[in-house]
Amino acid sequence: MNSTEHRIEYERKELPAGLFKIGLVFFIIGLIVAVVGYFVDPTRSAFNNLIILMFLISVGLGSLFLVALEYIGGAVWSTPFRRITEFFAAVLFILPFFIIPVYFNIHDMFHWTHVEEVLKDKILSGKSAYLNEGFFTIRIVLFFAIWIFFYLILTRNSKKQDTTLDQSLTKKNIKISAIFMPFFGITLTLASIDWIMSLEPHWFSTIFGIYYFSGTILTALAVTTFMVVYLNEKGLLVKGLKRDHYYSLGALLFAFINFWAYIAFSQFLLIYYANLPEETYWFIARTEGSWVFVTILLGVVHFLVPYIGLLSQPSKMNPKRLKFMAVWILCAHLLDMYWLIMPTFSKDGAAFGWMELGYPLLAFGTIILVFYYFAKNKDLIPVGDPKLKRGIDFRL
Amino acid sequence: MSSVDYSQEPSVLEGKPPLRKIEDDIIKPLNTKPDKKYYIALAFTLTLAFIGAIGLGYSFYYGTGMWGNNNPVGWGLPIVNFVFWVGIGHAGTLISAILFLFRQKWRTGIARFAEGMTIFAVLTAGIFPVIHTGRPWIAHYLLPLPNQHSLWVNFTSPLLWDVFAVSTYLTVSAIFWYVGLIPDFGALREKATTKVKKIIYSVFSLGWRNSNRHWQHYEMVYLILAGFATPLVLSVHTIVSFDFAVSILPGWHTTIFPPYFVAGAVFSGFAMVQNVLIFIRKIFNYEYIIPIDTLERMNKIILLTSMMVGYAYSMEFFIAWYSGVQPEQFAFINRAFGPYAWAYWIMVSCNVIFPQLFWIKKIRRSVPYMFAIAVFVNVGMWFERFVITVTSLSRDYLPSSWAYYTPTLTDMAILLGSFGLFFTFLLLFTKGLPVVSIAEVKAVADGAQPSHKDH
Repeated sequence: MNSTEHRIEYERKELPAGLFKIGLVFFIIGLIVAVVGYFVDPTRSAFNNLIILMFLISVGLGSLFLVALEYIGGAVWSTPFRRITEFFAAVLFILPFFIIPVYFNIHDMFHWTHVEEVLKDKILSGKSAYLNEGFFTIRIVLFFAIWIFFYLILTRNSKKQDTTLDQSLTKKNIKISAIFMPFFGITLTLASIDWIMSLEPHWFSTIFGIYYFSGTILTALAVTTFMVVYLNEKGLLVKGLKRDHYYSLGALLFAFINFWAYIAFSQFLLIYYANLPEETYWFIARTEGSWVFVTILLGVVHFLVPYIGLLSQPSKMNPKRLKFMAVWILCAHLLDMYWLIMPTFSKDGAAFGWMELGYPLLAFGTIILVFYYFAKNKDLIPVGDPKLKRGIDFRL
Repeated sequence: MSSVDYSQEPSVLEGKPPLRKIEDDIIKPLNTKPDKKYYIALAFTLTLAFIGAIGLGYSFYYGTGMWGNNNPVGWGLPIVNFVFWVGIGHAGTLISAILFLFRQKWRTGIARFAEGMTIFAVLTAGIFPVIHTGRPWIAHYLLPLPNQHSLWVNFTSPLLWDVFAVSTYLTVSAIFWYVGLIPDFGALREKATTKVKKIIYSVFSLGWRNSNRHWQHYEMVYLILAGFATPLVLSVHTIVSFDFAVSILPGWHTTIFPPYFVAGAVFSGFAMVQNVLIFIRKIFNYEYIIPIDTLERMNKIILLTSMMVGYAYSMEFFIAWYSGVQPEQFAFINRAFGPYAWAYWIMVSCNVIFPQLFWIKKIRRSVPYMFAIAVFVNVGMWFERFVITVTSLSRDYLPSSWAYYTPTLTDMAILLGSFGLFFTFLLLFTKGLPVVSIAEVKAVADGAQPSHKDH
């Protein structure tokens, strides 16, 4: 019964060149749009920048969360491709490039940064202990430092294990992951309040952090799912990843699609039902003019389609379906961010043009390039992880 | 500290017990006469239930004026107790259905028992909304029954959705529980000591013969029911939270309520399950079926959900301040420093502070400590419902109608009675049915899993 006699069939190969090419094309188109956009309409470009910033946080921080979750949960099925998720977590490093443009346009986006306006407004003055530029900046730096800190330790230990095969590193990472969780919860919530909720500084909702969390996890799962299926089909991952692994990824995607819908619906229903003007105006803004179509579209794109698309058991194991749904979910999360952020910019109707098309390309390009850079000439599986063999042998 | 070998799958049972021993040990309590201690325990819980019955009798004879409910506080202890007991039920479904979907093998030793607790807790909970209507003899009007007065229920009220959600939940939980029992009834039938028992078990086993086809159907049904039970369990406490949150009362109306209530329900339910299991494993010598590792895992979930509730408390407080809405801010200041501050701080310390001790591995694995902490959690979670229900009502928008709410003796008698009833059910369960799933535990014993070596 000794399992060590079975060797792990894995050899390091070159990443597909197409991946780099498509990432580069996306990135360059996106970058051109961003630069041109900045000169044409700096405010609108800043809002678009914020949309993809929140999207990239979802990818980076969400992936780091999934890595930590695997350690605490003692999961084995995801160990063979944990490294992929770790590479995606590296997106955290490029966040400053997207935070800085937002930061420079802070006055065009965040009403509460205008001190003279805040003084005239009783409610905003009440919040100024939290919503002021100084503390806002400190929080940005702090969140970022916390995320990078945990990223560095978790991935360093994980990489070290490739050569040392030291089991105590797993134990260490379990502890670090547990400590990471409360930090993750608090920073993610406050980040979503700071960067999305405070765009409408009078509005408030206690569930908001969880709403953003649900989309974050979904996004992180989607990038991992896509890359795992894609690389596995190219034969770049370890031999033995089968339907059982696919099914688990599909089932988790399905679960979090439902979770997102549950949270989104709860937030809507409670505000709609109580009908208090200080809360409803936020939803009214999202039914104003053509926004109502975006709101309906969000329900269809973010819930209905992926729900039906992943409901049946075979669809959760179908590589084609999984890849399609993963990309679909990424677009859905972008739409979600657009729906949360953009109504502050264009109040009378949904603004959609070349900038809204170009910025997502920049985001996708960035993710692919970051992944490519970190994964290039590296092992794509955690070769020294003690749970690896069990993970490959995982069957439903 | 011994180091764990992560390359090997940890065994969920302790000490490689032979399959036969597992079966015999689980069946044993059903075929032996209970000892004196059992009757003492039963007498105790029946007495509590009887006290509750007296409280109910008083309430029916003299009316609901026997309770402490007063004008602003229309929802007193009955609603507090209802939410508390429904919450207790949630751990059962989480363990039996959700952990099943997550393929957590350690759940097998505790799932049956937890699922039983779900059913008893929901039955106990059901008493309270019915008596709170004041006219329990016409409780059937809670259902949309056609009648010549054209009296209809209010379909837009979450209170009605509760009726549907809780009854559906109870039905599906009971079916799920029963389906899980079928293979065990088959085993019991073979080991029955008397003719009567054999007939009863045969009937309930539905002709179970352990054939391959039976198992295939069984596993399919079990999976589907687990899939059904999962959204149901979320819906139940979500709708319970809607009862509060759709209103415009500060402290009730807040969007985080649905996930917060679900997390709280799982939190209190796990604490209750852990408390009871500590006795069960000791009395029936099931320490190898429910090893300390299993209890440790439960404690980790208690710690996790404790932090979720703590997160919700903090968010409520923070957003109340952040909102700038004066009644909202007042509601929370009033909770923490008003006349019910004592209840609020019991809640915070029991639910958020004490469970943090579970960060320490030694405490997680020490039976007396974990027992004490879980008792605190149960107390704290009862007080959470008390704080939510009572503090917000007792000081609402109109200061001239503010009033302090104190439960009466009758209220307390009914509360005691609910504990009596719940534990009476549990005691009868331990002697009437196998408290651990024989089939499931055998399936996770060492050597029971197929090996994928040669694939």
